[in-house]
Amino acid sequence: MRPISFIVALTLVAIASPIAAQGFKPTKPIEFVTHTGPGGGGDVLARAIAGAMEKEKLMPVRMQVLNKTGGGGHTAMSYLVEKRGDTHTIAVFTGLWFTNPLMRPEANITLKDLTPLVRLVLEPAMLAVKNDAPYKTLKDFIDAAKQNPGQLKQSAGSIGARDWVVRQLLMKNTGASWAYISFPGGGERIAALLGGHVNIMLIEPQEAGEHIRAGNMRVLAAISEQRLPAFPSAPTLKEAGFDVPNVPQPRGILAPPGIPAEAVAYWEDLFAKFVKTPSWRKILEDGLFEDGFQRSAELNKFIDQYSETTRGILREGGIKVVR
Amino acid sequence: MEVIVYLLQGFAVALSPLNLMWCFIGCFLGTVIGILPGLGPAATIAMLLPLTFKMDPTGAVIMLAGIYYGSKYGGSTTSILLNVPGESASVVTCIDGYQMAKRGRAGAALGIAAIASFIAGTVGVLGLMLVAPPLAKFALSFSSPEYFALMCLGLAMVVLLAGESMTKALLAMLVGLWIAGMGTDLFTSTSRFTFGNAEMLDGIDFVVVAIGVFALGEVLGNMEGRSGTQMLPVPKGLRNLLPTWQDLKDCRFAFFNGSVIGFLIGVLPGAGSTIASFISYGIEKAVSRHPEKFGTGVVEGVAAPEGANNAETGGAMVPLLTLGIPGSGTTAILLAAFILWGLRPGPLMIQDNPTLFWGLVASMYIGNVMLLVLNLPLVPLFAQILRLPAYVLYPAIFGISIVGVYSTSSSLFDVWMLGAFGLIGYAMRKLEYPSAPLILGFVLGDGMERALRQSLMMSQGDLSILVSRPISATMLFLTVLILVAPLFKKANAWRVRALG
Repeated sequence: MRPISFIVALTLVAIASPIAAQGFKPTKPIEFVTHTGPGGGGDVLARAIAGAMEKEKLMPVRMQVLNKTGGGGHTAMSYLVEKRGDTHTIAVFTGLWFTNPLMRPEANITLKDLTPLVRLVLEPAMLAVKNDAPYKTLKDFIDAAKQNPGQLKQSAGSIGARDWVVRQLLMKNTGASWAYISFPGGGERIAALLGGHVNIMLIEPQEAGEHIRAGNMRVLAAISEQRLPAFPSAPTLKEAGFDVPNVPQPRGILAPPGIPAEAVAYWEDLFAKFVKTPSWRKILEDGLFEDGFQRSAELNKFIDQYSETTRGILREGGIKVVR
Repeated sequence: MEVIVYLLQGFAVALSPLNLMWCFIGCFLGTVIGILPGLGPAATIAMLLPLTFKMDPTGAVIMLAGIYYGSKYGGSTTSILLNVPGESASVVTCIDGYQMAKRGRAGAALGIAAIASFIAGTVGVLGLMLVAPPLAKFALSFSSPEYFALMCLGLAMVVLLAGESMTKALLAMLVGLWIAGMGTDLFTSTSRFTFGNAEMLDGIDFVVVAIGVFALGEVLGNMEGRSGTQMLPVPKGLRNLLPTWQDLKDCRFAFFNGSVIGFLIGVLPGAGSTIASFISYGIEKAVSRHPEKFGTGVVEGVAAPEGANNAETGGAMVPLLTLGIPGSGTTAILLAAFILWGLRPGPLMIQDNPTLFWGLVASMYIGNVMLLVLNLPLVPLFAQILRLPAYVLYPAIFGISIVGVYSTSSSLFDVWMLGAFGLIGYAMRKLEYPSAPLILGFVLGDGMERALRQSLMMSQGDLSILVSRPISATMLFLTVLILVAPLFKKANAWRVRALG
């Protein structure tokens, strides 16, 4: 080695090493918190991420999924607050983590009390009807709902969930009205639609795919910015003639409050690398998710804006917003 | 004929050494987690899911399904021996199973539970194989009004669960219904009886109530007695450790009843195995020649609910495999597993993956035999637990209960609640209130309220929707019949006395 390059190399090492020493690296297994029980949306995503991380060998340690169920996500959120400053705990968040604190006085922790790291996906949705329903387009359905106010039914989740928000927006935009029937599980919602007990439902593409392929269901519109690659014939709400804001369902990763900046940087970089791996691409493809990667700075802006929009929609829907 | 060809192909798949091994691992794990209270099949499958990504999907599904139906075999063990329900569907087994153990017949109870599980499990697979597609259509015709009627029918079982006093049974049931109402109202997202506690937003977990009222209540009650360190009698000799021919004969109808009821209710996505086991217990008592003996340790009272909760797994596979619709927590995670393996569950899955479906069906036949072989020899072994002196056994039950509750939610709040329900269970014992009606009300309350409100939303507030649909009208009629039958009996007795 020539002396000069040796010196350069030495200097480089000298410069680089303090940074490397400061840089955070996990040293023991990571606790990966989700608010859903085993088999729920957040749980499945967490386990898929943990499996893919291991496969891609991006981390020196393993990730262990921890189910902190209850309180509409609040139990998991308060657990993270308890873990203040812990660099070895992260969690999957979903849209519920935005809306629950807005509606429930008891749920007194918001996303801003935690450390948002990255947004990973935007989950699109579709409005679907049973194959033998008379509605060929969303307009047909809206017109029918206008003619029989309150007669048509939507099988859906709880109030404040995305299906409720989309219905509120559509009803406000068109003046039509239809009933909103809550079912706790996705399976029961689909069963009610396929059994002909309700007329329409908001469904995730991944849930709907096989029913559409088998010819049991028909898509009227996609709730996404662009048409979904898997269902190119389904128009977006705008294309279908309804100028309502798009309501994406965000999912991403956050950490307990008060963790050092190096740890934030580590997690951000790790997930930035992770979202480029084939394993993650496959998860996106199989789940028919939209890639929604954002780093923490953008994510923080998104959280403010999303919470504000949600507040407005909740208020208009007659729901008391508590914070 | 076609079915036989397919099934033979399925056996060819399931009997390959590797798949046999997966089947055994699944059944074995299932038995173990079934025995442990708290930790259920859903959590176990979720934990093992990442390990299955590298496996062939057929082998993986054979193993995970094995965990699911295997857990139902083990669930009865702690119910019978310790009055600790291993999982929600085993609550009913406590009623007669634990009484049998108290009378020194623990071995017979455990044995009959295993045999009933085997028979009903096999009937469930037969149903899945032969009638899955038409039955899935039948399941879709069930909606909120029908579920409401089914829950009413279930709730009417209180008449049959009541001991001495009907009033006390009804009061206990109402308390159960009230507890079920705690938490967040699904329809309006308002909190009910949460007392400003965020931990209460999702209501109280079933495990907390069941283990508290049954296990802790029982232990607290037994601790009063100062006599002896031996808790329960253990029969001597191997022969007394297994069910007799007479037991098997007594259970003929229970095997049939449990299998059919369990399978049919399992097919319905919104019902669940706990309701199945309650209803089959109720039917068994209703048709029995000695209904007054139920609750004192009759063998049919173990066979019927244990059969029902095993046949339910075969039933629950029907909507999952033919429609891609999960009915319970465990089938929901199996659905998630299918998606993660890239299988696309839905109406076309059987058609697209015949090897997987028939391999699974064949493996379930094999798995049920394995479970019987695995469980029967364990019976005498488990019965020995009762030899433990009380000062070892009671703290152990406390420990198992606390770990079981903590493992499901990782929440200390739930552990405190467990203590509270233990005291409630103790008070109920002292005041001679039966605990099964409380659990019945608690299990059904939530779904029943929901189904009623959904029905009324569908009909715009018109109550006639409940009686204008044939299935729901029939079930409501049966409910009324069950409720008025004892009144008639009473009136009759009164008339006879008046005449005499």
